[in-house]
Amino acid sequence: MDSPEQPKEIQRMSLSLRIQHIVLLTSMIILSLTGLALKFHDNWFAHFVMQIEGGFEARGIIHRIFAVILILVGIYHSFYVLFSDEGHRDLMKLVPKLKDLKDFFRYWRRNITGSREKIPFGKYSFINKIQYWGVVLGYFIMVTTGALLWFKSISMAILPKWVIDLTIVFHGWEGLIIFIVLFLWHLYNVHLNPDYFPMNNVWLTGKISVKELKEKYPLEYAELFGSDAEVKKNED
Amino acid sequence: MRISQIRRIYQFFAILFFLIFLNGAGQSQSKAVPQLVKLQWKKCLICHAKPGLKKVTSEGEVISLFVNQKELAHSIHKNVPCQQCHMDIVTIPHKGAIKRVDCSRCHYAGSPIEPKNTKRYAQLQNSVHGIALAKGNPNAPRCQDCHGGHDVYPPSDSSSHINKFRVAKTCGKCHPKEYNNFEKSIHAKALNKHKSEAPTCINCHGGHTIESPKQKTSSVYASRIPDTCSKCHGSIKVVGPFGIPTQQVTTYKNSFHGIATQFGEIRAANCASCHGYHSILPASNPNSRINKKNLPKTCGKCHKNINRNVELGKVHVNPRQKSAGIIFYVSSFFKYLTITVLVALMLHIILDVNHKLREKRAGKKKETEK
Repeated sequence: MDSPEQPKEIQRMSLSLRIQHIVLLTSMIILSLTGLALKFHDNWFAHFVMQIEGGFEARGIIHRIFAVILILVGIYHSFYVLFSDEGHRDLMKLVPKLKDLKDFFRYWRRNITGSREKIPFGKYSFINKIQYWGVVLGYFIMVTTGALLWFKSISMAILPKWVIDLTIVFHGWEGLIIFIVLFLWHLYNVHLNPDYFPMNNVWLTGKISVKELKEKYPLEYAELFGSDAEVKKNED
Repeated sequence: MRISQIRRIYQFFAILFFLIFLNGAGQSQSKAVPQLVKLQWKKCLICHAKPGLKKVTSEGEVISLFVNQKELAHSIHKNVPCQQCHMDIVTIPHKGAIKRVDCSRCHYAGSPIEPKNTKRYAQLQNSVHGIALAKGNPNAPRCQDCHGGHDVYPPSDSSSHINKFRVAKTCGKCHPKEYNNFEKSIHAKALNKHKSEAPTCINCHGGHTIESPKQKTSSVYASRIPDTCSKCHGSIKVVGPFGIPTQQVTTYKNSFHGIATQFGEIRAANCASCHGYHSILPASNPNSRINKKNLPKTCGKCHKNINRNVELGKVHVNPRQKSAGIIFYVSSFFKYLTITVLVALMLHIILDVNHKLREKRAGKKKETEK
């Protein structure tokens, strides 16, 4: 089955993407810790976090520093996906398609009914796509509302008071949802998932084994190595 | 000579007290002024009953030496002869410099006189007044400056200087600016209507415990003001009957200003920053700092560029109440969205693990079959 010229591993995440990802996750963790300590300021944990962050004022400063880092990595990323070849190729593969909607329903039907149907994915499954576009949407909401709150003197002069109040609601709740998605879903997908436990190393090595590729992303495999996978898929 | 003099005074008082005791045993002790005390007063009142009696101090200050007999007869010290307080007066005409009365001769912690074991003496020493007094500040108040000299009555007595409805005036003797501002406030208005729930100076500043607002332990230190105000404004029992909502305390504590203040950030707005303090007025009053018309100015103290936009919306917004309008609907939407996301994710994870385990089992079966 494995042809001699077929490599054992292929690259799934480029070095640039891996660096972007590490910067993103660092800033997100720190933004979550500093932000949630403010939102849930009533409990001992928030007090503890606030303390290690160096007090109330320092918390705000750290939050803003990492907000800037997040904004910069976002800007860099948009240039990367729009103007670099590899980035643009990936972006095109992330565009939601009708197939993803179908996959979504197939996936839930399979998991609820307990059938062993295989759902063939391309490089990015509908789960990857939801996560990616979720992060993009969250990024825009958080950056816009965050900027309004940061430059409150200007925004209060331009906008009515109720919009500012709404901004606080959006920033707080959206932040909480992002936190939940990241720490529950993403953590499961790449750490606690029985297939990867304790961790999927792709974010460090950037490599995925061809075996795994064939199993998880058969359409991508087919695209790279020809119809062999198609045959295999049809067998199943 | 001095020691013998003091001994003589003590002997005099010992006999006096014994006689008072004997005298008091006969009559009802509290109502009438004992005969012997009256006798002693008589001697002093020959001169001091004259309303015009004055003296000029070495600093040129004119002090009235008039003693109002009526006040004295009702005062809590009506059983006390003059010299028990004015100990340095031993001759007529008086010799030497007559000092102000030192109440601590009788009133000290553990003394046989009520109140015996109160913390107030110690509190006073640590208060801003006590510290000023210890430093020798001539303007620092002594006990009698607040409690009265010959007219000391229990605080429950309406003519007491420290009575709830009179104490502001007493403080105003030395703090006239603050008193004048306070008199304009809604609190003073309520006090003038004899509403005992309304606060006067001591309810916020403390009585014997009073500290400088710059002191971190002071009840009116910037970050402690919300706690002080919420003693009443967080209690439905106190402010409820006046139709004042208590949720302002909670909404403040959950606001950015409130959180910052709870963590000791004194630059953040506390209640007084917006509402004012001595001259506090309800929003409906056009002179109030929180009247819609004055909001840009009030908020503008900290937030530059502020304009009438600040009037469009509410302050003290409670996102959990329908009255918050769009804020309520958006935050409710987010609440249910978060719950949905949480449940969906959990379900997704459980089903996914289930599927993976099933696959694994099937894989093993296949292997064993082979």
